[in-house]
Amino acid sequence: MPGFELKDDHDRAAVGTPALDDWKASKALNALPPSKAPDERDPDADLVARVGARDPLAARVLVTSKLPRLIALASRMLGDRADAEDVAQEAFVRIWKQAPHWRTGEAKFDTWLHRVALNLCYDRLRGRREESVEDPHNVAEPAPDPAGAPDQQLEARTRDERVRAALAALPVRQREALVLTYYQELSNLEAAGLMGISVDALESLLARARRTLRAQLAGDAAGKDSV
Amino acid sequence: MTPERFHTLVAAYGADPQRWPQHERNDALEWARAHRAEADAALDDALELDAWLARDRITPPARALLEQIVASAPVPVVAAKRRRFWRSGAAFAGVGLAGALAGALTMSLVMLGTTTPAPHESSYLSTGFGGSSADWGEPGSDWSDE
Repeated sequence: MPGFELKDDHDRAAVGTPALDDWKASKALNALPPSKAPDERDPDADLVARVGARDPLAARVLVTSKLPRLIALASRMLGDRADAEDVAQEAFVRIWKQAPHWRTGEAKFDTWLHRVALNLCYDRLRGRREESVEDPHNVAEPAPDPAGAPDQQLEARTRDERVRAALAALPVRQREALVLTYYQELSNLEAAGLMGISVDALESLLARARRTLRAQLAGDAAGKDSV
Repeated sequence: MTPERFHTLVAAYGADPQRWPQHERNDALEWARAHRAEADAALDDALELDAWLARDRITPPARALLEQIVASAPVPVVAAKRRRFWRSGAAFAGVGLAGALAGALTMSLVMLGTTTPAPHESSYLSTGFGGSSADWGEPGSDWSDE
């Protein structure tokens, strides 16, 4: 069985704790269809093993490699950069804790990491339940690019805001499907497995998401023309 | 590949064949070549949305955040033990005790170098003859038999 082993029954009994979340993530992944050929090695397996052996260099390589992906995933799911950075930091705390117990198998480390990050995102989204997460005006401003000139920053920010606002306005499951397949470039099997749905259901969510976005794009274009 | 399946693929995954499921990609491309007009209409429609989605770029994480997370990684056991020792109260107590002993030793050495002899009142200093005045008898007592 791939994924992480539980150390003891305490982890199983700790309802609502991070350990249980990790266990759920690992269990969910075990139910996934194989996301890669049996003879295909997890590209992160050796690195995770070294992190588990407390190799400081491996930890640095892993952070450098995975942090941008985690930030991108959480930023698009949450629409808030600060929350996304919190999610990324918490995800790495889980990695440090679980890396010594990682076992290579069918589930890839990157897929497990997506499950952990999505759980953390959903925790935050549930915390915002009283607010309207579908409100495009609720989207935080993206962090300015320190390398860009002021006018370029403004243009980029306006452009990003429009796309991000449209993404944030999607129902959360449609957004999740789109973020996982389009931006995180997971396969349809991996994305469907992470979301706990069939590939058909995933494709339905994706088609609806793209239809909604296309309508929004048409609306923006019409708005621009009328100005 | 049916027309319906081709449209489903494009509607879900967009115009880029690299994003289509691998096991259906070749069949879908073959269908598109065979039905050029219908395929192009669907692909053009999806391509516009793909370009729009591609505009959303996430700023890379700041160096400070990366370093902060790297610093949160557990350290090797030997280094951790060493760190724990130096952070422990025992280490502080040990350092304090060593300091106290060193201070006491220093003070002892300093005191030895500057000590003056304590005044000593010996009885022989009381007379020019030496000997204790207690040994003196009554004047002339030694000559009493003469």
